Amino acid sequence: MQSIHMQTNWAEKNLQTIRTLMERSAVYRRALAPIMLFAGMLGILAAAIGLIFHLDSISSFCALWLSTAAVVVVVAFLNTRLQAIRDKEALWSPPTRRVAQAALPPLFSGMFFSSAFLFVGIYNLIILVLMWLFFYGCALHAAGFFMQRSTKAFGWIFIGMACAAIVILICLPTSNGATTMEFDRQCPYWLMGFFFGALHLVYGTYLYLTEKGKNAA
Amino acid sequence: MNQEPFLQLDRVIHEKGRLAIMSMLAASPELSFTELRDGLGMTDGNLTTHIKALQQEGYVSVAKSYQNRRPLTTCSLTASGRKAFTEYIDLLEKIVRQNKYK
Repeated sequence: MQSIHMQTNWAEKNLQTIRTLMERSAVYRRALAPIMLFAGMLGILAAAIGLIFHLDSISSFCALWLSTAAVVVVVAFLNTRLQAIRDKEALWSPPTRRVAQAALPPLFSGMFFSSAFLFVGIYNLIILVLMWLFFYGCALHAAGFFMQRSTKAFGWIFIGMACAAIVILICLPTSNGATTMEFDRQCPYWLMGFFFGALHLVYGTYLYLTEKGKNAA
Repeated sequence: MNQEPFLQLDRVIHEKGRLAIMSMLAASPELSFTELRDGLGMTDGNLTTHIKALQQEGYVSVAKSYQNRRPLTTCSLTASGRKAFTEYIDLLEKIVRQNKYK
């Protein structure tokens, strides 16, 4: 009788271990390169539009970048959907679900805190951009646990650079006059263009060169 | 209890380390040697020994290539490996089920 119980317990434990290992092993493997390259190109385009057309108000800045993000999300969704159809796999696979679950809290926090900042009247675009960078980096890092390892490193770049930029801004001697105003006006677009444009292009190129042929979620 | 399912378990997969390797490979099209080693916390030597045993049984195929000019070893389950793993899981479930219905 004891042997029967031992065998059953052992079998149950083994099944649990197998399940855990299978879940850990199933990482998100869909091709990210096209999405990253598209995001990078759109990021640079949006930054150029902002700089050329002097979209200096906080509302036009937010409208421009939120619509850019929306376009990227829609294109990323369509791209992933196409890949899933091509590979005859479910779109909402367990790895996709885990990536979404990991990335959602930092992305939500970013949206919540930036809305709260604007609500209480802190209309500083540079602080807003750095906050977006920081939370986006956190989202990438969290999602990176269920994706290829380089995603975590990419997330750390955003977090580290956002923190470094905050330190630099604190230490930067403030001066009055036109130079500071011009800096305040242009800096957010340069930051967004660099991080969400150029960095995504670089990472997309890296992924394009390193991603393997078989992409499965 | 019917002892049969327990006795039918595949002895090659039955070993803890090899079962872990098979479980990880079953959930992924292929995994690199490094991914397996890091995921399972095994030493290089231990993992190599287990993979060789599974390869000899025809359960795992190993491919060697280059990525960014660095050698890359990837492992994947063969069709017979996947079949053996499924049968192993079925037997485990059978053992659990049998005792529950007693």
